[in-house]
Amino acid sequence: MEIDLEISDEEYVIQRAKESFKNNPAAAKAWMITAKIMYPNNFGVQFEAYQIEKNAGHIKEAAKCFSDLTIKFQQQPELWKEIEKLTVALRAESDNNDEEKQFLCEMFRHLSSDVQHKLLLFTADHCEDTMEHCRLLLLLLQRFPTAISSNGPRLVDTLISAEKHSVDGHFPVNPYRKLLVCDLLPLLASEKVKVDLSSKLLQKLLHKAIEFYFCYLGLNTSAIQDTETKIEDPWTSLFGVIEFIGGQLNWEPYLINFSTNWSKETYWQKIVMFCQSKTKNYPLEDKQLLFCLSIFFVHCLFEYNSSLTPESSPGQVPTTFIMVEAFSDSTLPNLTETKSKKRKSDVDMPHISAPCVTVEKPQFKNIQNNFLVCMNCWDLLNSSENLRREFIKLNAHLKLDPLLSGFVIDYALYKGLYDESLMFLHKITDSSLLLQRYIRETAILYGKKNYSYCLEPITLALPLLPSNEGILSSNLIVGGNQKHLHYLPLTRIAVLQYLVKILVRCIKENMQQQSYTDLAIGHIFTLTQLDWPQDEDFIPPLLEKIKQNRTFQYHLFQSYIINVDILEELTYLWTSQGGQIQLDILPHLGQRRIGTRGADKGVKEEIKQAIRRQISRSNEKLDDLLISFILNERAQILQTLNKLTFSM
Amino acid sequence: MSSTEVNLKQGLRKLEYPICAKEALYKIFDLICSRITSIKNMDLALDLMAEFVFYEVDRRGHKRAQQLSSLQELQLIKILYEYFNSISSESGRNTVFLSLFSGTTLSLRLGILTKFISTAIGIPSSKILSSASAWMQQLGNASPNSCKFAEGIIQDYFYFYVSSTEKITVLPQISPQFTANFMTAVAENYFNTTNKRDVCFPPKVLLETITLWISESTSLCVAAQQKQAMLPPGAIAMEATTPIAGLLKWCILSPIFKQENTFYNNLHLALLNSIMEIPKAVPPKAIYAQHLTVSINPILAYVNDLKNRQEKKLDQILHEDSLQLALDRFAQAIQVISSVNAMYGHVDDLFHQLKLLPFNKLMSIVLNNYKNKVVIL
Repeated sequence: MEIDLEISDEEYVIQRAKESFKNNPAAAKAWMITAKIMYPNNFGVQFEAYQIEKNAGHIKEAAKCFSDLTIKFQQQPELWKEIEKLTVALRAESDNNDEEKQFLCEMFRHLSSDVQHKLLLFTADHCEDTMEHCRLLLLLLQRFPTAISSNGPRLVDTLISAEKHSVDGHFPVNPYRKLLVCDLLPLLASEKVKVDLSSKLLQKLLHKAIEFYFCYLGLNTSAIQDTETKIEDPWTSLFGVIEFIGGQLNWEPYLINFSTNWSKETYWQKIVMFCQSKTKNYPLEDKQLLFCLSIFFVHCLFEYNSSLTPESSPGQVPTTFIMVEAFSDSTLPNLTETKSKKRKSDVDMPHISAPCVTVEKPQFKNIQNNFLVCMNCWDLLNSSENLRREFIKLNAHLKLDPLLSGFVIDYALYKGLYDESLMFLHKITDSSLLLQRYIRETAILYGKKNYSYCLEPITLALPLLPSNEGILSSNLIVGGNQKHLHYLPLTRIAVLQYLVKILVRCIKENMQQQSYTDLAIGHIFTLTQLDWPQDEDFIPPLLEKIKQNRTFQYHLFQSYIINVDILEELTYLWTSQGGQIQLDILPHLGQRRIGTRGADKGVKEEIKQAIRRQISRSNEKLDDLLISFILNERAQILQTLNKLTFSM
Repeated sequence: MSSTEVNLKQGLRKLEYPICAKEALYKIFDLICSRITSIKNMDLALDLMAEFVFYEVDRRGHKRAQQLSSLQELQLIKILYEYFNSISSESGRNTVFLSLFSGTTLSLRLGILTKFISTAIGIPSSKILSSASAWMQQLGNASPNSCKFAEGIIQDYFYFYVSSTEKITVLPQISPQFTANFMTAVAENYFNTTNKRDVCFPPKVLLETITLWISESTSLCVAAQQKQAMLPPGAIAMEATTPIAGLLKWCILSPIFKQENTFYNNLHLALLNSIMEIPKAVPPKAIYAQHLTVSINPILAYVNDLKNRQEKKLDQILHEDSLQLALDRFAQAIQVISSVNAMYGHVDDLFHQLKLLPFNKLMSIVLNNYKNKVVIL
């Protein structure tokens, strides 16, 4: 064994330990023990001992060395580097790829909790970067819940002021806020000991949390700066914050319990119960109702909005639904009434006259439930001046308008507040929402009996029809007299069907007010073809009218009337059995004076041919036919919607 | 002889062996464990032991020509086992145990004792082992009788039953005190150079087992010092000698006796770890300085022997790996022991003697450090 006599005693002992490590670990350890005990105050020796244990992967031994080092040699820069590595490793504990990091984490677990605690606190206090400081303190609190009561409030203050001074602090979703809301608050909540925070600060924290989560939930997507901030279940997290802060503020336990068997319906009952339990002297500064109700409302609103576009099966385009005013028919059996008759006690309740809300399929029932809960919340929020004012304040701060915009229209529609709805609708400029705007404007104008104004939004809507084909709806008409609201799927066919149905009713009702014209009758024939025979009841009175007039002139006949049933009826009227009504349906024959029977022979033949041609077209696509009808014959249609039509 | 004594003996004489042994043991307990004991009672108890328990003398006190048969020995061991396990107080057990196996009759009874304790290890019985531990300690755990006893146990467990070491492996869990005292005695039996004709080395299984014991528990070596046995009233408790010095001797001397293997390597490390964990005591009591000097002479003798053979140059001899390994281990042990302040006795004398050893870098550092420390002090 060659020994360099020039090296120092310390170096010699360490060198011996290193030498034997590969071939004789036990001997190496014996040397290590000797070295460490010989030079207890020599940082070089002690640190080397640590390095040797670390490199050999001896967790317990390394931990022991590290403990001694942190107690004795806190001022050594080399140790600081190691401590830094350790804290970095602790924060990336899930990183399985880095062996050194894993070792350090494992080693940390073998340190006494006293040393762990000191280590983290010391590191945090020595950290010049605020974010780093906060992260380290958080790490400390996560590992030592006993430190929460002493260091928790301090970290809250630090985070709040750090956010204020940081560059992106004015965005609700920023790293400090995330640390505060997503990491620190749940940690404070997990601690059973009451954390010493003023109620003013608690409300501020709640506010910050709400703002953060609402913003995160994409209500204000432009504000999300850090796209990597992924939060698993924001609503659960937010409810957790309310449970914690509400608990600290001594709010009603049932109002802040979102955990066990929570449902929107039962929670609404709790809110009602809370309101009933409070007298008028209920202190205005108590914010629990405002906060709980507002958050609940936004939650329901959020669910309502997302239920309007249900998840589609893979590969299919998701369909959005919008609330529209649909139709009712008093001659049909009233399904909702028969239901309510079962509950006799409810008969006197005013809700019998409440609008009937329908959906396309039973699986979309949650849309209407969501809407009703939202509406209840909205009514309650607007029931007191104080609540309304506070919510407006909150809304101004949280910028909830994008979330609210759809709902307020639906709400106005439901309540029959047409002018209000129109006002909201006119504000919509977003091109993706224009179709919805035109559909609903059409419906409202029809509801207001402004028939002549209906055509414009219809013609604006038609070029915007979605590419999603869809099918004809059979739920647009319910029996009874009540107002009928329907969630219309935004598909090409369903929207077209709905618009056509409105148009046909506009023409029909306008005609009944003014007088019958052949043009209006022809238009109605054309329009009812789309979802034939849904509106076939409209036809017999019109045929009767034609019979009375003994003539029917409709020059658009060849272009648009291809329904076999209608053609049959008209042909029958034209025959001798039907009354030999004169059909003026071929424009080029219009000039000819209809003379004696013999002279009509050629004309008759032409009409026969024309009707045959129309029957042969009966399989043509009606949607395209009707779209071109509305778009191309606007002037002709408008004639039948004006009030000042001249009767022929 | 009082009439009660006569009646007692005559009553027992009517019983056959081994029933009389069993009865005698209960009488002995009454005689020596009652609150008021007297020399007379003690003498009577000793008589009963000789005549009825161990069957050594006849009614007249003459040595029996016929000793116990193997079967009777076995019966006696069974009786002893049941008897000691049935005594609830530790001091009672120890009192009877010490009286049964001490004094002039001990050498006669050592064979039975060894078999008895072997049985207690095998079954096992922590009560009996703790009495045996107290016995070793009171006798001196490195005394010739303790060593002889240990030798017997080793014969049983490390020669006869080599294939099954489970019982002996868990011995520290059953009675750490006994294990510690046992190790002290065992350490004495091997690498013993005072008896120059035949230096014995521990069998591999024994070495392996002891290494395992100490590696698994750093407090095992000082176990007997940490828990004092309950002794008969008036008895002076003897301080247990830890096995540390004796076992260190194994590790230090193994290279120069060409016995070196990984177990000595590991045993040495385990011992250093144990020394590090010795609880602070004022004054220190774990290691006696003179016990550490034992290794010095064999090392010097080894060097002299090599010199005398004249096969190697002096320089070669002094740098020989075995010698340096022995000295490295020695120096490591000395450093650790003195650093944790676990040594008592003539420490200066030890360091003085260490200077006589051939040169070793670590040893010179250790000696220098000691010198500086002493100067500073």
